[in-house]
Amino acid sequence: MLKYFLLNLLLTFVWVALTGQLNYSNFVFGGAAGFFILWMLTRRSRNADKEYFYRVPKILVFILYFLYDMMEANLRVAIDVMTPNYHTTPGIIKYKLDAKTDFEITMLTNIIALTPGTMVIDIAEDKSYVYIHTMYLTDKKKFIKNLKARTETKLLEILR
Amino acid sequence: MMTVENYFIYVIMPILSLSMILIFIRFLKGPAVADRVVALDLLITVGVGVIGVFSLIADDPVFLDVAMILALIAFLSTVAFSNYLIKRNRDD
Amino acid sequence: MTDILIMILSTVGAIFVLISSIGIVRMPDFYTRLSITIKAATLGIGCILTAAAIHFAEFSTTTKVLAIVFFLFITSPVAAFLIARSAYISGIKLWKRSVVDELQDKYDNKNEIPVNPCKEEGEE
Repeated sequence: MLKYFLLNLLLTFVWVALTGQLNYSNFVFGGAAGFFILWMLTRRSRNADKEYFYRVPKILVFILYFLYDMMEANLRVAIDVMTPNYHTTPGIIKYKLDAKTDFEITMLTNIIALTPGTMVIDIAEDKSYVYIHTMYLTDKKKFIKNLKARTETKLLEILR
Repeated sequence: MMTVENYFIYVIMPILSLSMILIFIRFLKGPAVADRVVALDLLITVGVGVIGVFSLIADDPVFLDVAMILALIAFLSTVAFSNYLIKRNRDD
Repeated sequence: MTDILIMILSTVGAIFVLISSIGIVRMPDFYTRLSITIKAATLGIGCILTAAAIHFAEFSTTTKVLAIVFFLFITSPVAAFLIARSAYISGIKLWKRSVVDELQDKYDNKNEIPVNPCKEEGEE
């Protein structure tokens, strides 16, 4: 896993040094070329070696998905701010965590905080619950199910 | 004909200034200390944006260094204030 | 072409900043204000700084802009979490039309909001 990441980085730098243009599109192209070459080379090897090549596209898809979610929620909040009446039904709910380590909890908290309308207020002492303040609470079970399926499961798939 | 520079001076800068005035209203009004801290934090964040637009108008990327330092300082001040709020609450 | 892209990005950013500042004046209680303002402003500043990076189109400037946006996206959720927690502990009340407050049994916040109006789902 780490070995292939370092090899990919090395190939990127070799590409940038050979072409001699120090800008971002060259870096991105070198990285993509290195990724493709390594993928072709490890086609017939063990499954543990191939893990890196499944994980990188997943991370890219997750980032795009997160940006889309963030734009959509921002527009919703913007409409709510500009129209005269309040449409919010705020509330604080308890959410059971599947994430175990500190790093996973931190990433999940950051992602929850960056989607507008939701925000983490407190964490239980034994790190098994977080308390989430949300602005659009209509159905508690549906909200919890949605958050678990759309954010937490995908994040843990990437991190573990 | 409207150039990009004129667009920044006559459209973007007034919008940012208007939002700074609105945030300052909340800073003066805010019923609790926490409201004022949030308003101050947002004021600094908008200040980073103003510096970015100003570096576009002046055509000089040196100002972005100032924006970077400001973005770091805003975070530190919020952390210090929230620490102070918790401590004050525990004392009395 | 580049000019039009810069104009669109900076306009979107400025409008997001304006929305967040209207939100901080209009919204009824501290928590809703916080949860609107921090993110909309962060997104708006991100758009404006991206416009600056496109305008200068240099390696060093783009790196600087990426660093600023990265700092903002890492630090603003942490700052929001800290200030929300200390505000709740120091007893700032939720809006009176809030639906549910399940944090009440941990700290006594003296809201008049039901702890749990929805039925607790059975243990599975």
